[in-house]
Amino acid sequence: MKLTTFAKATAFMALAGTAMPAYAQQTVTWWDFFAGGDGVRMKALIEQFNEEHPDIQIEGTTLEWGVPFYTKIRTSAAVGAGPDLMTYHLSRLPLGLSEEVLTPITEADLEAAGLSEDDFFESSINAAKGPDGTLYAVPFDIHSIVLYYNKSYLEGTRFLDDEGNLTGIESVADFEEAMQAAADNGSQTPVTYATGDDGGTYRVFYTLLAQQGGTLISEDGEVLPGDSTEKAVKALEIMTNWHEQGWQPEQALYEASVALFTSGQSAFQLNGVWEVPTMVDLAESGSLGFEWGAVEVPKLMDTQTTWADSHAWAIPIQGEEEMDPAKREAVMEVVGWMEKNAIQWADAGHIPAYKPVAESEEFAVMEPNATYASLAEDATYDPRSDVAGVASPVYDAAVNILSPAMHGYLSPEDAIEQMKAEIQNRM
Amino acid sequence: MAMIRNRSRHRLVALSLILPFVAIFALVFAYPVVEVVRMSFTNAPLIGGGEWVGFANFERLFSDRLFYTSLKNNGYFVLLTVVPTTALALVIALAISRLSGRMQALAMVLFFTPYVLPVSVVTQIWSWMLDFQFGVLQPAIEAVTGKRVPVFKNPFWVMPSVAVVTIWWTNGFNVLLFIAGLRNIPEELYEAAKLDGATRGQLFLRVTWPLLWPVTALVLTLQLILQLKIFDQIYLLSEGGPFNSSYVLLLMVYREAFQLNNGGYAAAISLVLFLLIVVISILQFQVLRIGGKK
Repeated sequence: MKLTTFAKATAFMALAGTAMPAYAQQTVTWWDFFAGGDGVRMKALIEQFNEEHPDIQIEGTTLEWGVPFYTKIRTSAAVGAGPDLMTYHLSRLPLGLSEEVLTPITEADLEAAGLSEDDFFESSINAAKGPDGTLYAVPFDIHSIVLYYNKSYLEGTRFLDDEGNLTGIESVADFEEAMQAAADNGSQTPVTYATGDDGGTYRVFYTLLAQQGGTLISEDGEVLPGDSTEKAVKALEIMTNWHEQGWQPEQALYEASVALFTSGQSAFQLNGVWEVPTMVDLAESGSLGFEWGAVEVPKLMDTQTTWADSHAWAIPIQGEEEMDPAKREAVMEVVGWMEKNAIQWADAGHIPAYKPVAESEEFAVMEPNATYASLAEDATYDPRSDVAGVASPVYDAAVNILSPAMHGYLSPEDAIEQMKAEIQNRM
Repeated sequence: MAMIRNRSRHRLVALSLILPFVAIFALVFAYPVVEVVRMSFTNAPLIGGGEWVGFANFERLFSDRLFYTSLKNNGYFVLLTVVPTTALALVIALAISRLSGRMQALAMVLFFTPYVLPVSVVTQIWSWMLDFQFGVLQPAIEAVTGKRVPVFKNPFWVMPSVAVVTIWWTNGFNVLLFIAGLRNIPEELYEAAKLDGATRGQLFLRVTWPLLWPVTALVLTLQLILQLKIFDQIYLLSEGGPFNSSYVLLLMVYREAFQLNNGGYAAAISLVLFLLIVVISILQFQVLRIGGKK
């Protein structure tokens, strides 16, 4: 199939060669950081694209997530040896802008991709813009933490409705009551998240802070301005209390925190949507042993919101050179195609940032994504700052200060004070 | 005439022999050093040039609390490792040198094996063994302290734990140096001393110790330089935490350069660390030499 397509394309090119000299095959060099279950789905998308487009071929490379990826982007783009298209975390955009490695996505670019700004969830498109409103990336998904639950521990409590779905959690007190109920029903660790890691700790902390309307870093670069400090203390106090009550695991690293839920020891899990495929696969193979569900993190404090981030597409600078317009058009065609086929990406748990897909019937029947998709509307992104976002000093502070503090090594007040000083110091 | 031609030829040969070394040295050492010095006076990002900012980076460094924390931790780590590892290596070397034949070879292999391992393997082994939930060493810790300890997550345990891992990892090399030193001490000296009625303690204090001193001084100096450059184990085991209790200077350099894109500031920190190592190691070596001459 692939071969004949190629043969046809080559024949076509040979015939058309004389008539259309400008029509050349484009190779798009692509770098991403998807190594796990995401990676499998992304590679399938790339393969499908290459099959459908004889004139554009994607050459994909997967690199290591985090600081290594972004360091490599910066060094290679600066000398013009970087990719043509790359995946980028929107939370990492501010540092990307100060490094000057991103090129603006123009109206013409979007047109070439067959997209427009209005097609995307507002929160995500805003996070993809620079301070002056210029677009620097095209959001691909919205990912967040969700509340996974194990129904077996909640049976007979007021927290399951007639259809067996989670209900009745509208405050921290409700959630704590549910955890106690689960503990009484034999759940050893009622809620699990990566309490000993940066990401796990940070995401829960930031969600609790955002739900109180608190700001981590203000527009003018102040860390925890005004009463946000008190709110941060409050968030950390809640997490510390969960530790003291024995409701959350002690010093759990990421894998262990997931295993606590999949092995049926935890009634709840606060973790990213990217673990949805794990749960679906386990349930399908019949080795899970309990019924599960996932919902948007309930409104535990004052407002309904959750920490969120996006994977996005960005085009790096090519050293001193400009990218050839024909190539840029091809790159944007790739972006447009990926957005329109994002339903396969949703399979990895993510919510498509592209509304026509997120609002499609196909997505509406996709569970549990459709249940928690509401979070896309009220997501809180990381603060816009060079020191915030994925693999940033803020993440470091989570593992360096917040995590040990909630394990009892420092009082919440002192820990927040230290975190404040630490982050301020890095700016 | 022939003499002169020979001499100039001699020079040419000498020059051509050292040229490759000088060229490589200039390329991979001298040039980067000059660049680091230049960069430390600029606000350069990681890639590309920057503007001259004078001593701004150094002013910032000397008012950066994290710098003093790191400096203190570097010092603490040196205290925890340099003398202990040297003493331990000496004891092991003395013990091994009393063995003979295959037993000696076997003992040497056993002590040297960890040194062969890459740092990532070493830290992986130890983080498994000391894992809070499943580590095989946790029951031992529990027996002593009464409860499990997440050693790399506890502000008091973290540095000593990293020190233990480091000593376990690098001690074999020091043992080897000491064994070589011990073998260089002529057997006759011991025989003569024994004939004079020296006890075992006297043999060690009057013969072994003074004659081994150059090796001891070398091991101490090498260890000092090596341990001031601590980075890998910290980065892999504790990431500088908790509460910066294991934050060290090289970690600061890494974070500033690769995470925050502050090339100039990172260059300033590494320059200070470089000078620190040079000064301390020269000082130490001088002191040790004087100590040895007495």
